[in-house]
Order: sequence, then C-alpha cells, then structure tokens
Amino acid sequence: MSAATDTGYTPPRKGSFLDALAPGGKRAFLFLCVLGVLLLFAFPVFWLVLTSLRPAWGVYYVHRGLEFTLSNYAEVLEQGVVVNAFINSFVIATLSTFFSLAVTVTSGYMLSRFTGKLANAWFGTIYIFRTIPYITWVLPLYFVTQWWGIFDTYLGLLLPHIAVHICFFSWLMKGFFDGIDPSMESAALIDGCTRWGAFVRVALPSALPGIAALSILCWLWTWNEFLFALILTSHNTPMITVVMAQFVSELGTEWNLMSATAVMAMVPALIVAIFGQKYVVRGLKV
Amino acid sequence: MATDHRSAAGTPGHAAPGGPSAKSAGLASGWWKLDEKTRFSLLLLAPSGIMLILFQIVPILIGANASFRDWSLYDPQRTWVGLQHYLYILTDPNFLYLVLPNTLLLMFCSVSIGLCLGLALAHLLNRHFIGHALVQTVILLPLMVAPVIASMMMRWIFNDQFGVVAAVMDALGFGSIAWLSNRWPSFAIIVFADVWLWTPWFTILLLAGLRSLPKEPYEAAAIDAASKWRVFTHVTLPMMRPIMAVCIVIRSIDCFRTFDQVWVITGGGPARQTEVFSIYAYTEAFVYLNFARGTAAAIVGAVIIGALGWALYKTLNRFMEVSR
Repeated sequence: MSAATDTGYTPPRKGSFLDALAPGGKRAFLFLCVLGVLLLFAFPVFWLVLTSLRPAWGVYYVHRGLEFTLSNYAEVLEQGVVVNAFINSFVIATLSTFFSLAVTVTSGYMLSRFTGKLANAWFGTIYIFRTIPYITWVLPLYFVTQWWGIFDTYLGLLLPHIAVHICFFSWLMKGFFDGIDPSMESAALIDGCTRWGAFVRVALPSALPGIAALSILCWLWTWNEFLFALILTSHNTPMITVVMAQFVSELGTEWNLMSATAVMAMVPALIVAIFGQKYVVRGLKV
Repeated sequence: MATDHRSAAGTPGHAAPGGPSAKSAGLASGWWKLDEKTRFSLLLLAPSGIMLILFQIVPILIGANASFRDWSLYDPQRTWVGLQHYLYILTDPNFLYLVLPNTLLLMFCSVSIGLCLGLALAHLLNRHFIGHALVQTVILLPLMVAPVIASMMMRWIFNDQFGVVAAVMDALGFGSIAWLSNRWPSFAIIVFADVWLWTPWFTILLLAGLRSLPKEPYEAAAIDAASKWRVFTHVTLPMMRPIMAVCIVIRSIDCFRTFDQVWVITGGGPARQTEVFSIYAYTEAFVYLNFARGTAAAIVGAVIIGALGWALYKTLNRFMEVSR
C-alpha cells in the first residue's frame, strides 16, 4: 500500500469522459446541446416565418432562390373571414379571461380560507371535472346552445370558455391565496371590515401578481383553443384557429398564405414569450 | 357546515345581519338559518358553481340521456334503445384495435419522451452559460403557440414533396417517405408535435422543482465523491419524485383528450388508422351524424380516463411511499 505512494504515482484525476475525449470537450458538448435544443424548438417557427415571406412560386423551391415578399400578408388580410376571425378571437379571449378570473377568484379564496364539508365537496368536484375530457361535455353543448338560442354567437362560445377554466383556475387560485398570510384579514375583520371587505381590500391585492400571470396564460389558451370553436361556432362567428384548420384541408396547397395567417396568429404568443416570460413561469407553478 | 374559519375565529357574529326580514319565504328563512360563515362561503362559491352546473353538469346529463336513445335525424321520437350504443362501441373493432391502442400509445410516448426531455432541459437551464436567456425563451415558445399552428408547421415540414425534411433526406441520399399516407410515420409526426408542444411545460415545472431542492444532500454527496450520474440517480431523482408524479398524472389525463394535433395533422387518417378517442367521438357525432353514438363514445372515454387516472395516481403514490 505504501509502496504505491512512495513511487509518487498519483492516479489520474477522475475527470469526465468528455474531457478525456478532447480538451474542452465538456464545453463543446454543452454547446452542442444548446444548439440542438435551439434547433428543435425554434426551427419549426423559423421555417413557418420564412415560408410566409416567400412568394407563392418560391415556396416549393425553398433551397433555391432568395426572393422575399410581404404580399402574402396583404393577400390574407384582404379576405374578410380572416379579419373577422382575428377580431372574434380577440374579443372572446379578452372577455373570457376577465370573466373566468372573476368567477374563479372567489371560489379559490373559499377553498383556501375555509375548511369543512362544503370546501371538501367543492375540491372533490373540481378534481373530478378536471379529469373529464372536453369532448364529453362539449358534444352535448352543441345541442344545448342551440336550444338556448346562443349557438354560433359570442355568448355561446364565451360561456363554455368560462366554464372550462373553473376547475383548474380554482385550484391555482387556492395556491395563490395559500401563499398569503391570513392574519392580515383577521386584523381587518377585528377592525370592523366585513368578510367581503377583508377579501376585496386585503387578500385580493396581495394575490394580484399571481392573478396577472394567470390572466396572460388564460388569454393565450383561449386564443389558441380549437375544439370548442370547431363545435360551437359556424359561419357567423369564425374563430382564427378554425379558419386556419379549414385552410389546411381546403386550400392545402397554398402554404405561403397559410403560413402568413399562422404567423399573424402567433404574434401574441411571440410577444408573451419574449416579454412576459417571468409572469408565465410564475403562473404555471402547480 | 363550514366549521373552521382560519382568519376570523375571534369575531363570531360580528358582521352577521340578523334575520328579521327573512321570514318571508321558506327558502329565504332557510338561507338565514345558516350561520354567517357558511353563507359567505356559499356566496363565494356561487358564480363558479352555477357556471359548472350549467355548462358542464347539465350537458353531461343531457349527453348521458342522449346516449341511451336513437338520436338520428330520421327518428324524431328519440326512441329509447338502452345500452345499444355502448355495446356497439365496446365491440367496434375500430375502437378496440385502433382508437384505444392509438390513444394509449400516444399518451405513453408523449408523456415518457416529454418527461425525459423535460428533465434534461431543466438540468440544462439550471446551470449558467452564455445565451441562457435566449435558450429559455426558445424553450418557452411552444407552450404559447396554438396546437393548430404547431400542427400546421409539422404538416409543412414533413410535406412529402416540398417539405424541408424531404429535401434534407433527398440530399442525404435516403429515399423520401410518404409521411402522411402511412400509419406509423403519421403517428410518429403526431407524437413529435405533441412532444414539441408539451416538453416546455415539463421543463418549467421540473426546473421549479430542481431549484427548490435542499442543498445539503448535494454537499454530502460531494464529500462522498459521488459521480455526477450517481448524484442524479441517488439524490436528485428521489427528491424530484413527488413533482414528477404530479406532472405524469396531469399530463396523462390531458394527453388522453388530445384533439387538435391529430385533427390538423392527419384528421384520423389514413383510413381512420391514427384516430384517437376525441376524434372518434367527434367523427361519430359530426361526420356519421350519429349524435347518440358520439356521446356514448365520449362517456366511455371519460370512464376509461377516470379509472386510468385514479389507478395511475394510486400507483405513483404507492411507488413514492415505498421509495421514501
């Protein structure tokens, strides 16, 4: 044993395999990883943007030619249905964000501050309804909204959009309020505030950062939603996702026009991804 | 009912309006007989509860009723046919041998690949390097892109004549694959689109989990000169298990109802070979115009995912108990 140390032999430092392969191999590996990730996640978006800037005849010979044009966007915006769809999607997304947050903020507060049979029952309910696939209740809604005379109107799309978020948002809101110390509200109650006043004036302002994050996500999810719009709307209320899906099946060859529409529909997502990152990350915490 | 109010135990009946005006109607007097805390919690619950009843519970009940009837266009009587539609679905070879395996396979592939990739990316983002902000932005992007748009991108990229993948494969000397006219290549594209869309979600949640882990076990492992891989398998993974379990359960439940990607990429084709459960219910209702059969299929699916979700939750729970 001591002989080994006497010879002055030191075992080679147990470095990583990559460092052994080449000096700086680890950094190169990390760089390659980063490059791969960028390629995997950004390339489809990049390619779509590129296609949307190509003239119609250039789309099919991507690897030749370098002409770029904005005429695809102009051509798409001349179609009334696309413009209508953008307006409708914007209105529905905005209204549904406002109302679904307004509706769930109280039930989330209730879940966070009260215990007992009622809170347990509500928690169980939202747990079960979170599991039920959308199609199970949107299929019958096709007839229900027709009976109520709100099929293919703003109302007929808005109300289900509010309902769909109830389960998940109540749960997230509970999380926001759980992070707030309830002793402030007790103090407000002792000072003569009503329970409603304690909720609106004390608890709600503290929960605002979380709610703001959630509102961004809610807006995007409604903007991106497809199944509800497909089933619950027809010609009177075109939504942008449905219009795009129709493009794919109807004019399946004009990829330059489809890409231009898709890029415009992606603008809100790009804005949020670049400027609203930290809100999104905060809002997603389960 | 609501027994304990954490915030205001010390102010019993302080803000409670007494019930002198409440004797008018039976319902109203019942309302005022409840104690003040219960009334308040019911009021808080009311908006969500009413929306949930009107737009989820009522439609589900109507759908359940319809699924026992002959709801086709030529039968205005809506004849009661009992379990006929359920029997049809549970013996339909399309449902048993295509739709159900497709749905479960998509669920398995998407969740397992997403989890592994998400874990890797969370580790990447958990360290500092030049361009960290750029990489994080790029990884977050798919989370905000509409599934419909993402599916269009995939269709265009994998277009078998003019797609960029076909061009690259041509240049490399491989033959071209008719991606969307065969079952497994189209299924692979669906899985790819789903992974592309949902890996960022795994990444964000797992990154938050990684950052909240305590430092001490890592210091102990460093003192013991554990290799990086051993630290990962013996320190990180066991501590990450709870959040991974939550991710798996939520994502599996959501993946079961996938509609957008499949609808835009293949529409269930070629020849119904990539149909998943939501597409099957939609097709039965709106393409074959058999609304009752569609709702029956939707209810069968809800029961399956309910049972599956519960079993998954129990399994993961037990798995975590044992390993703790």
